[in-house]
Amino acid sequence: MERAVPHAVPLGQVASCSLSPQMEVFQALQRLHMTIFSQSVSPCGKFLAAGNNYGQIAIFSLSAALSSEAKEESKNPVVTFQAHDGPVYSMVSTDRHLLSAGDGEVKAWLWAEILKKGCKELWRRQPPYRTSLEVPEINALLLVPKENSLILAGGDCQLHTMDLETGAFTRALRGHTDYIHCLALRERSPEVLSGGEDGAVRLWDLRTAKEVQTIEVYKHEECSRPHNGRWIGCLATDSDWMVCGGGPALTLWHLRSSTPTTIFPMRAPQKHVTFYQDLILSAGQGRCVNQWQLSGELKAQVPGSSPGLLSLSLNQQPAAPECKVLTAAGNSCRVDVFTNLGYRAFSLSF
Amino acid sequence: MGAVTDDEVIRKRLLIDGDGAGDDRRINLLMKSFIKWCNSGSQEEGYSQYQRMLSTLSQCEFSMGKTLLVYDMNLREMENYEKIYKEIECSIAGAHEKIAECKKQILQAKRIRKNRQEYDALAKVIQHHPDRHETLKELESLGKELEHLSHIKESVEDKLELRRKQFHVLLSTIHKLQQTLENDEKLSEVEETQESTMETEPKP
Repeated sequence: MERAVPHAVPLGQVASCSLSPQMEVFQALQRLHMTIFSQSVSPCGKFLAAGNNYGQIAIFSLSAALSSEAKEESKNPVVTFQAHDGPVYSMVSTDRHLLSAGDGEVKAWLWAEILKKGCKELWRRQPPYRTSLEVPEINALLLVPKENSLILAGGDCQLHTMDLETGAFTRALRGHTDYIHCLALRERSPEVLSGGEDGAVRLWDLRTAKEVQTIEVYKHEECSRPHNGRWIGCLATDSDWMVCGGGPALTLWHLRSSTPTTIFPMRAPQKHVTFYQDLILSAGQGRCVNQWQLSGELKAQVPGSSPGLLSLSLNQQPAAPECKVLTAAGNSCRVDVFTNLGYRAFSLSF
Repeated sequence: MGAVTDDEVIRKRLLIDGDGAGDDRRINLLMKSFIKWCNSGSQEEGYSQYQRMLSTLSQCEFSMGKTLLVYDMNLREMENYEKIYKEIECSIAGAHEKIAECKKQILQAKRIRKNRQEYDALAKVIQHHPDRHETLKELESLGKELEHLSHIKESVEDKLELRRKQFHVLLSTIHKLQQTLENDEKLSEVEETQESTMETEPKP
């Protein structure tokens, strides 16, 4: 079978009667091999953007899919467009823009315009890389609302800060020895946590642009799992506490004393973790979204429809309380929607 | 009058009294008997017809009164239902408020549980470390021992210094004595040689 061509046919926009059987087979193959890497909720709370490995972004209407008159078509995207040449690894939303990044560039799209066909990006920026030969991928984006800036991190092992008003790159924080997987913001003291392939979680103070603390997770016996590696795949923080996982076991750390307090007994490496109310939600290799209590007990395991999950998104926008759902996406073309954390309500599909 | 169509009238009449039995028939009969009575001749028949008409009339009045009472009852039932409806609406609103209140309480309880679990997690870690009082006591005793030992060391060093000085004095006195003895020997040798030369010279 031929490999998929780089610029894929936008799914869901071509009427099925005008497709040749070859195109149908091609589309079906595309759907089969699709991975959704990132999700982001619109500022109004009614739309969900999902980015996949072909560089496409699809916008789903959550309010339509959750309403009582939802039909099968409401589970398809409202619009799909080709955003990047490479996979879209990370997306965040500000109060007016959708920022997406993947293949070394970060692009901005206006939420107000994004539903119209032929939407063009508002701007695109590339952080200053040391070598101009290879363009490293951007794995994680983080918004710092206090100083209205965006932090990008990825393949070149540095954290770049970009001011959102001027578009200028202000800092480059160096310290990681291998590429960075994930970022988290510690709100009280404006610090950024970054976790990478080198197995260390580093805390950076944004005001002094220096590394404040380093936690080498794999060096602690209780949580290290050498057979999985030392990479840190996911990070979440709650000011005093931090959860990280990946190669080592999913562990809850107390940041001020840098001690691991609870180890969650999950064998599969976790790719996304977040704090929610009094629970910790995690997802990774394996179908289920896991809900943990802080004491280490597994409260619930809710299976999704994808064989592995890569991202979780909680829609907590105050403007749309009826769309307050958890969405999970991963190694398939489907985004699972959980209206109640206990079960999967339905799935949106690319 | 022209606005109300025949259909409406027929429908209404059928609805009220479809089968023709009852009030409608009675009123028709009354009309007919009134006309007959007007046209009748004899006194007796007229009187009996008159009585019959009165009774029919009172029957009509009776059924009208019944209908009025039923109408009143319906109105009062409607009022009653309105009242119940309003009460239920109020209690629904109250229930909504209670639900919102309970949701807030749940959030609060979840926060409390989270704090408690964080506390427990930290407490577990802290328990692994030894007690602070014991460590302080150990530190104190170790400090005292250290002091004591340093005192001993000092006193031993002082003694050593003293002995060293005494030996120094002794050795220097011995040296001096040796030197004086050597000097004396040298002097006595020189004197002897001088004497021997003096003896050999005056002989020839």
